[in-house]
Amino acid sequence: MRRSIVFAFVLIAASLAGAPAGAQEGHPLKGSWIGTWGPSKVHSPDILVILNWDGKTISGMINPGTDDIPIKNATLNPEGWVVHFEAETKDKAGPLNYVFDGKIDGLAFHNRSVAGTWKSQRESGQFKIQRQ
Amino acid sequence: MRHPKFVAAGTLALLLAVAASTTAHHAISAKFDSKKPTTLTGVVTLVDWRNPHVHVFFNVRDAKGTTLNWAVEAESPIDLQEGGWSADTLQPGDTITVQGIAARDGSRQVWGNSIVVKATGRRVLYVTPTPPPTPLQARPAPRWPDKQPRLGPIPGGAQGYWGFPTSTVLMEAGSNVKMDQWGLLANVADAPKVAPMQPWAQALYINRQNRFLQDDPTYLNCKPPGGPRQFQLRYGVQFVEDRERQRIFVLIGGGNSNYRIIYTDGRSHAGQVGGDDDNPLYYGRSVAKWESDALVVDTRGFNEDFWFTNGGLPHTEQLRLVERFTRTDFDTLKYDVTIEDPGAYTRSWSSGWTLRWVAGEELPRHLCQENRP
Repeated sequence: MRRSIVFAFVLIAASLAGAPAGAQEGHPLKGSWIGTWGPSKVHSPDILVILNWDGKTISGMINPGTDDIPIKNATLNPEGWVVHFEAETKDKAGPLNYVFDGKIDGLAFHNRSVAGTWKSQRESGQFKIQRQ
Repeated sequence: MRHPKFVAAGTLALLLAVAASTTAHHAISAKFDSKKPTTLTGVVTLVDWRNPHVHVFFNVRDAKGTTLNWAVEAESPIDLQEGGWSADTLQPGDTITVQGIAARDGSRQVWGNSIVVKATGRRVLYVTPTPPPTPLQARPAPRWPDKQPRLGPIPGGAQGYWGFPTSTVLMEAGSNVKMDQWGLLANVADAPKVAPMQPWAQALYINRQNRFLQDDPTYLNCKPPGGPRQFQLRYGVQFVEDRERQRIFVLIGGGNSNYRIIYTDGRSHAGQVGGDDDNPLYYGRSVAKWESDALVVDTRGFNEDFWFTNGGLPHTEQLRLVERFTRTDFDTLKYDVTIEDPGAYTRSWSSGWTLRWVAGEELPRHLCQENRP
């Protein structure tokens, strides 16, 4: 009896250990991405990026609902899965132009990530976002 | 060795955990390396007779005299039963010789090209799928009283389903690219010849190929085989024509008991599925009309959570399929498809193949199980 319980427990634990996540199998950038960008005196360290692909253009928004910063000039170079996008907003000191350059990691996985650098006229730093 | 059952359970669990974290049900090439031929002889300890693949565990003594438990992987229970084998074909204690190919990840697993029982010399647990014999004379396609072709069986006749597609891989008509039955290219450099992909889609396709299709969500997560793929799987399809309600159900043998509805009542693509009207679907939204003897099906509204082909050609939510089903004779169903997806391809493209009528048999019922090696 005890052996059967142990056997069942081991099997259940083994099957749960490998449970894979769901998948998004279309354009690798499409979706919602959450992560961090910092350090900064201007914005919070958390970032939410929504990206879409219409067949020709990558569009999107940074922090929709709060900052609402539209993304422009977004590109994905499949050679190395290099990501570039820009965003334009303004703060008390004037216009802010952000430039993001990164690379997709874990392309095959649902929870793939993009990591790289960001910069504006006044600051720069690292960012990492993960697809939700 | 005081508790051999514990050892067997632990080995099985370990193998399941390792395998499940990498590949569940899979193309053989996703898990095993054809460049690693392996021959092993050992004593059977356990027969795990479950979907998607049967596993036989056996103890093998290595050159140093150490006994190691291996797993030989065979086809699915459905296929093996079709071949006349059962869970009792091999018994613990039988000595077997396995010829096959070893796992890519170095684990003690082997795909069994041949399993021979030492005591009898009999080869066991193999399958040789053979399509039904071609009739000496082609029989005309069965028709409804209004002369429209039937896609299913004749009334009062034997049951049946459509199987044995002449192609299990999707490529543009006219292309001649060598790939295995799972869609794995013999030469990845041929990727551009398969279909007119956009650069990102081609790079993603190559990435999937280079990973030996191990990320295929149809096998990894039991995702439905939407799109043309449903007509290229091993376990076939069955059409149920509900003429009173003007719809056709496509039952999908390889799709974990999935079905797809094709509406023939003239409705539009929007708002067909109660509660799910605005969400993209695995099988999209299909509307159809008859053009002479061909059923022409227009399908849109696919989601992006699955691979629509064996081999991993990408698609987006912009995918639109125009499919033509023509029962050219009693035993042959011609399937032609035009693929439009401006999100992933540079132009529309087409392909086609035929399926055979398998008379007198029910649609095989394959149940995918997640996290099973």
